[in-house]
Amino acid sequence: MNAVEIKGLTKNFKEKQALCGLDMTVPEGAIYGFIGENGSGKSTTEKIICGLIHSSGGSVKIFGKPHTDIDVRSEMGVLIEAPGCYPNYSVWNNMMLQATNLSIKKAETEVVKMLKLVRMEGTASNKYKNCSLGMKQRIGIAMALLGNPKLLVLDEPINGLDADGMRIMREVLVDISKNGTTIIISSHILKELEKIATHYGIVKGGKMIKEMTADELESGCRTYTALKTKETSRAKSLLGCKYSRVEEDEAGYVRVYDDVTAEEIVTYLYENGILISEIGKDKISLEEYYIDIMEGR
Amino acid sequence: MSKTKNTFGRRLKSMLRVDSRRMFTMKFVYIMVGICLVMPILILVMTTMMDGSVSVNPQTGEETVIEGFDNVWQIIGSVSEENSSQQGDMSSAMSMTAMCNINLLYFIVSVVVCIFVSDDFRSGYAKNLFTVRSKKSDYVISKTIVCFVAGALMVIAFIIGSLIGGKIAGLPYEMSGFNVTNLIMCFISKVLLISAFVPIYLVMSVIAKSRAWLSILLSMMVGMFLFMMIPMLTPLNATAMNVLLCIVGGIVIGTGFGAISNQILKKSSLV
Repeated sequence: MNAVEIKGLTKNFKEKQALCGLDMTVPEGAIYGFIGENGSGKSTTEKIICGLIHSSGGSVKIFGKPHTDIDVRSEMGVLIEAPGCYPNYSVWNNMMLQATNLSIKKAETEVVKMLKLVRMEGTASNKYKNCSLGMKQRIGIAMALLGNPKLLVLDEPINGLDADGMRIMREVLVDISKNGTTIIISSHILKELEKIATHYGIVKGGKMIKEMTADELESGCRTYTALKTKETSRAKSLLGCKYSRVEEDEAGYVRVYDDVTAEEIVTYLYENGILISEIGKDKISLEEYYIDIMEGR
Repeated sequence: MSKTKNTFGRRLKSMLRVDSRRMFTMKFVYIMVGICLVMPILILVMTTMMDGSVSVNPQTGEETVIEGFDNVWQIIGSVSEENSSQQGDMSSAMSMTAMCNINLLYFIVSVVVCIFVSDDFRSGYAKNLFTVRSKKSDYVISKTIVCFVAGALMVIAFIIGSLIGGKIAGLPYEMSGFNVTNLIMCFISKVLLISAFVPIYLVMSVIAKSRAWLSILLSMMVGMFLFMMIPMLTPLNATAMNVLLCIVGGIVIGTGFGAISNQILKKSSLV
């Protein structure tokens, strides 16, 4: 069974159409990376799934039931934008309020367990308003995890986190998914998403333009030959005359995207008096793949 | 796992526990209850000191005699038959009994209700409630009950403050036109009448969401319509009928305005 199944979802905000018939399928147990540029409809879709806003049309089913069903909703954990916590309450009290709201028996044990999972066990007595951004995001995740939800919806949970914060968040999400929890996670930080997602959905202009698994992404990602030389611009120019797509990346490597062997390139440049210090094959990243799709390549 | 079934009773019980915990751990609520306790003491003492003094309008030269309280119970209410005769006197004198009395409290309760509800939206906690298993109707019922209890505490504090203030100001505790039973009925009616105001304030709060100032403003404006009813429904010579009227009024207004709050929450976006 699919954890989430959305068909023809539309949402109009006065004159603006935020979603235009979006379809989305999230298999059970997946870590679903939800990608799209600002204003593409990611957050709107997630808010509709969580029942925070109403759709203008279409259907949303969670574990085969309408998303408005109260029993289905109790199987969800949500972190949309910032965590919903009272700033003057301690982390512990905020967690306990949510545990009470969910009627969790042995709430204290459960709260300790969740705080431990997100590496926040030592900060339970801190006031929420005194926590750093990374800590707040982790508290939000811990809160969303109370009651052992089967579906976790996270909107930009790694935004603003430092490298260590991102690593911890990544480990936490992988730990959670091992228990069979389905996770929908939207993010702009595609490099991080690439490390954990098992499925992807790319949304543009309020429509789902591509859904794929991580394996499909792996096989679908174009390979390229990257080379390093002291004469980068001349090499690029020469290769550009022979091959259809040649680019220079941020690290100063010349990339040839055509289906060509390294030997061919080495020979060709050597014949033209250019020596190569480094050469190898690689695949484009999720970020590059995403840019390719957005640019219609 | 330790989750329970999502029956209405269980959901409401959880929500009431959350709201009670929040309401009665807020320092602000205790400050307001304290104000309600101190306010009648200050009113009674100060008006007794000002009683009989004359205020002169420098432009017109018109003199206004300031009338204080003759009796402690005047700050709680008036005997219903006396209402019309009291209003006749108001043109010639500035009666403190007509302005500074327990009726003010019904507006002060709006501040507590509006800040309490707006906190849910400002902190984002409303998202936690509605994205999981809570229904909007659970939220409305729970908020109404907890805010009613807080409002009732404020009324009780005001009554206690009035009794203390009367003693300090040296005012008589004479009962003319009513007896102890009437007085108790009056107190009960005053407390129960809060249940008619809270749902109105709740509607304004869910309309204004995180903007507490707007909800307070709207609450005071809309509450004004019901304000006129307070002296009539809760006179000093109240009977069981008055108590019954307040209960029925609370239920009718609570159901009606509760349904409106529920619909507003259902139709509007929560973020």
